[in-house]
Amino acid sequence: MTVPTAPSLYQPTSLDDAVERLAVAGPDAAPIAGATWIMRSPSRGEPFHREYVSLARIEELRRIDDDGATLTIGAAVTHARLAQALAGHPALEALRQAAATSANPSVRRQATVGGNLCARDFAAADLAPALLSLSARVVLAGPAGITTTPLSGFLAGRDNLPPGTVLAHVSVPLAPVVSAHARLTLRRAGDYPVAIVSVAATLDDAGVVESATVAVGSVEPVARLWPELAAAMTGRPLDADEAVRTARELAGAFTPRTSVEADGWYRLQVLPTVVGRAVRALESHGRDRT
Amino acid sequence: MFVNGEPRRVHADPMTPLSGVLREELHLRGTKAACGEGFCGSCTVFVDDDAVASCLVPVGLAEGRSVRTVESLADPAGALSPLQQAMKDNDAVQCGMCFPGMLMSLTALLETNPSPERRDVHEALVGNICRCTGYERIVDAALTAARAAGAAVEEDAS
Amino acid sequence: MSDVIGADLPRRDAEDKLRGRTVFTVDAAEGGLLHAALCRSEVPAGRIVSIDLEPARRMPGVRAVVSAADAPGRYGITIADHPLFAVDQIRYLGEPVAAVAAETLDQARAAASAIVVEVEEYTPLVTMAQALADDARDLHPGWEDYDVLVEGGRRGRNIGWEATVVRGDTDAAFARDDVRIVETEFVAGRQNQAPLEPRACVAGYENGRFVIQTSTQVPWSVRNSTARLLGVREADVRVVVPPVGGGFGMKFEVSLEPFAALLARAAGRPVKLVNSRQEEMQTALCRENAEIRIRSAVTESGEIVAREAVVLMDCGAYGGEQPFLTSMTAHTLGGNYRLGAVRLVSRAVYTNTPPNGAFRACNGTYCTAALERHTDEICAAIGMDRVEFRRRNVLGDGDLGSTGQVFEGDVLAPMIDRMVALRDSAAPVERADDGRLYGTATTVGTWFIFVGPSAATVNLNPDGTATLVTAGVEIGSGSTMQAIPQLVADSLGLRPEDVTVRAADTDAAGYDGGVGGGRTTVSLGAAGVAACDEVRRKVFDLAAEMLEASPDDLVLTDGHVAVNGVPSARITLREVAERAQQVSGPISGSGSFTGIGVQPMSGCAAGHMIGALDLPVFAVHECDVAVDPDTGHVEVLAYRVVQDVGRAINPRAVRGQVQGGVVQGLGYALHEEITIDARGKVRQTGFETYRMPLSGDVVPVQLDMYEGAPSFGPLGVKGAGEVPILNVAAAVSCAVADAIGRPVSQIPLTPQRVLGLVLGRESEGVELRHIGPGWRDNVIADPDELMAAAGV
Repeated sequence: MTVPTAPSLYQPTSLDDAVERLAVAGPDAAPIAGATWIMRSPSRGEPFHREYVSLARIEELRRIDDDGATLTIGAAVTHARLAQALAGHPALEALRQAAATSANPSVRRQATVGGNLCARDFAAADLAPALLSLSARVVLAGPAGITTTPLSGFLAGRDNLPPGTVLAHVSVPLAPVVSAHARLTLRRAGDYPVAIVSVAATLDDAGVVESATVAVGSVEPVARLWPELAAAMTGRPLDADEAVRTARELAGAFTPRTSVEADGWYRLQVLPTVVGRAVRALESHGRDRT
Repeated sequence: MFVNGEPRRVHADPMTPLSGVLREELHLRGTKAACGEGFCGSCTVFVDDDAVASCLVPVGLAEGRSVRTVESLADPAGALSPLQQAMKDNDAVQCGMCFPGMLMSLTALLETNPSPERRDVHEALVGNICRCTGYERIVDAALTAARAAGAAVEEDAS
Repeated sequence: MSDVIGADLPRRDAEDKLRGRTVFTVDAAEGGLLHAALCRSEVPAGRIVSIDLEPARRMPGVRAVVSAADAPGRYGITIADHPLFAVDQIRYLGEPVAAVAAETLDQARAAASAIVVEVEEYTPLVTMAQALADDARDLHPGWEDYDVLVEGGRRGRNIGWEATVVRGDTDAAFARDDVRIVETEFVAGRQNQAPLEPRACVAGYENGRFVIQTSTQVPWSVRNSTARLLGVREADVRVVVPPVGGGFGMKFEVSLEPFAALLARAAGRPVKLVNSRQEEMQTALCRENAEIRIRSAVTESGEIVAREAVVLMDCGAYGGEQPFLTSMTAHTLGGNYRLGAVRLVSRAVYTNTPPNGAFRACNGTYCTAALERHTDEICAAIGMDRVEFRRRNVLGDGDLGSTGQVFEGDVLAPMIDRMVALRDSAAPVERADDGRLYGTATTVGTWFIFVGPSAATVNLNPDGTATLVTAGVEIGSGSTMQAIPQLVADSLGLRPEDVTVRAADTDAAGYDGGVGGGRTTVSLGAAGVAACDEVRRKVFDLAAEMLEASPDDLVLTDGHVAVNGVPSARITLREVAERAQQVSGPISGSGSFTGIGVQPMSGCAAGHMIGALDLPVFAVHECDVAVDPDTGHVEVLAYRVVQDVGRAINPRAVRGQVQGGVVQGLGYALHEEITIDARGKVRQTGFETYRMPLSGDVVPVQLDMYEGAPSFGPLGVKGAGEVPILNVAAAVSCAVADAIGRPVSQIPLTPQRVLGLVLGRESEGVELRHIGPGWRDNVIADPDELMAAAGV
């Protein structure tokens, strides 16, 4: 047995360089951006990789681009910067809320969009359900080139990506929706939420839901969509109380996780309440818009 | 790396936490490292313009950037910063371990929001744990410092 | 009396702490330090088959490896059951097996993890129910051979200590036909002190003596326990203590010091040893979890004619503080109220979990919560107003405590009146129509000052300033750096800044019981004032000659000795000090203190290290809460305290202690809990899952300081720092029960637990099958003998 060698850090300035380096190094290397999750590896009992390839100095991954139809968010954008940038995008309120309230202020200034979506075992990631509700897609760069895939598919399959794959961007369609994000922490703030609900909806002039997307985080190990609830909300006016009742009826669709902070039954029990809070916020955003 | 305005070369491995480098290699022991996981905030420093938990910053990522620690808040031989002075005047300090981080987080708040409400102070301190004081005096001191700065600005303007 | 007392003086250590200059033990960084790491057991229970240290010795940078063979002793407070390294048996996950010193911390950790420990595992006894089962394995098969440091406690099987109280004929009272019997069960979780500075020390070996710098509250206990564990003379251990980054009781026992000391001697170099936060979480000397059954016989008019209770305290793998703390049940659960007859048993139970320790208002927090919940259930049973019941029944002048001590003065009843006034003067708490459930509760609490021995020396320096030398440590409360020099300054007519405080050093200062238990200002303060009395006598004798006046007519004020009533006739203290250099040599004084030794009634208390309270302290707490019935979240809307402070010598400092103590109590009541899985592992590995209150979770505490209760403390002072946490869990538990209209029998009241209560989920109920139905079923001692000894 020897003293473990300290991991090295490679800091490329181009995405191609990062992809190539990671592809060559294979499972010995991993991308790093904000580092907030990876730096806690030792306390989770996970060994460090032998090498980390930093995305922090790749300019294109630090940008947020708006072409009028799509918002493209670089993987190395921090939560704090994202929250700031979204102030002018009321439709993306769910994402703004998620970016502005996750973890704590220091971590938000450091932790990135890419890290939030790529951290395995981080069931309580806030951006994941928010982006799911907004039908985001992820842009992956890899040795074989660029691919774009829906976020939901990425989250389900992220453990099996070929070496050299980097989550480069997240693209969010700029649709005429209203959106909201609700999270239930055990203290007022500062701990990881036990349940997260993000909702986006298009409303007609009468306030009736034309289409809805509902995503749930932290209840199961990986954030996911709740199409049954979305379908039930469609074709009716927004109604938080009704949403709570429906959520209660449909909550059996989840297999909740038990962890140190909360049992599965608790997550499932409070999920409808969190749905209600999200929909109530949606009602008020909808009113603000009209 | 520029630390408190001076260029410094460090030898630690790149994935070493910045907090460890500041403390062990640069002897800036004002920065504490009480939890090592970004929850207690006692290691908060500025990296460029962002107050961050230095226990979660690999020193390699701070290469070429500017780092400010609690030791930079006041001239060693000079007066305390207005925020430090307000803490002192409010008798806010007890064991003292959390204060370096508290001061950096609150300095960050006051730089972006010079006239915070009580709620804003609470939100700014979500990542700072104090085990002794029960927080109220820390929050009071932050508001006092903000009001004093506001009054000074008004006076300059008139 | 000078204007120093009662003044909001600033703290002398604030500025350095704000500049980041204060050097705590964790900050120690002198050249040539080796770094140490412990090899800790990865299993909770088992027989040690072999330990192979050789792989560690061969690792790079390693300078010393030590293990059980190097530390022959065992220590404890009542029973010496605790070896430094596991011997023969592993008793908890995280128990030290060996220690390594190396050039770097990484090298030390790598070497520690290279040590091969072969263990034949036992099924761990993780809960008190498991440890008390009829067929449970003995955690300490050799318990009868351990050194008994304090006599009197019954022991046996997995009960490390049993203390009992018997006063009056409880059986007869319970059998009366005019009483109602009310029974309450209560379970409290384990709370980690989590000071931001972990346990840390630096040890050296110089001239055949161990020199240890450490983050402790008890330099003298560290000195003595280290010597005991290492098998050396106590005089061969020196302990020095720089500012401590919080303790709250966790640093009230020896911890890492003997490991570092052994390694320093073996390596011939100073060694630094610091617990990582993960180690602190796994092995903190927590406030013990406890299980309580309490039963009372009460008349319709609200007289408590009899009470009996069983309290189980989990001491973890070794006894530590808990056998001693069994004493406290008599005064906390057995306190507050006038009782006809009373019968208590308090048992420290061994489990395969990390040893527990002391935490601010040890035992008092959960016993008070159980008692106050029980009191509210009594009120509900007999239909009496909860505040009125308390006003009628609280201990007053001449009343007997559970062990038969006679209380002096009416304190609690007027404090309740003051609480009513405080509430009436405050803005009413709004109860919004928001679907939440609102509740309020008023609770009382009995605590005490843990007096005991202290020594102080005061040197009058030739420049007319004074130096105070004690083994008092500054742990953050301000007692050592602020309150005691304030008392000395007052006594010598100096400004506080003219009193230098010597950092704690067992080579310089006399014995001291430690900083904690609210004792600092009382015991160290009294010793300091006594030392000043000697200085004053010497000063007056000399100045009388210089001023041609009688010593009896002299006063010390503003740095001068003056003739009382003759303002012009005065000389500076500096002149007197200079004169002393020629006449008598430098002036100094020494003082000591230990308490007054109040005794229990004969035969009432068995196994108690504190049979009666020398200096009781009382508190009344009140809080308003709102409970969200959909999520179980409890919001504390307002919190009020009336605290018996004796006399507030620095009111602002007292307020700071009360705010901080209440907030720690809110953490205990609502969020903080160490839980241990079936494999003996602490599930909360850091501050992600161990949730302490943050700034947004707290409210400003409204405080009314109650002055004037009897106290033999200097100037009538009582310690103010410990008691604020005492009845927070009680107030919150009672208020939540009031809000949800259901009994609350477990803390912390996490959202999940409260929602479980609101929904009536069975899993949230408490089941204490391992506590027998009556008091007699829960004592090792012969119950009839105990009754006979008490004259029943």
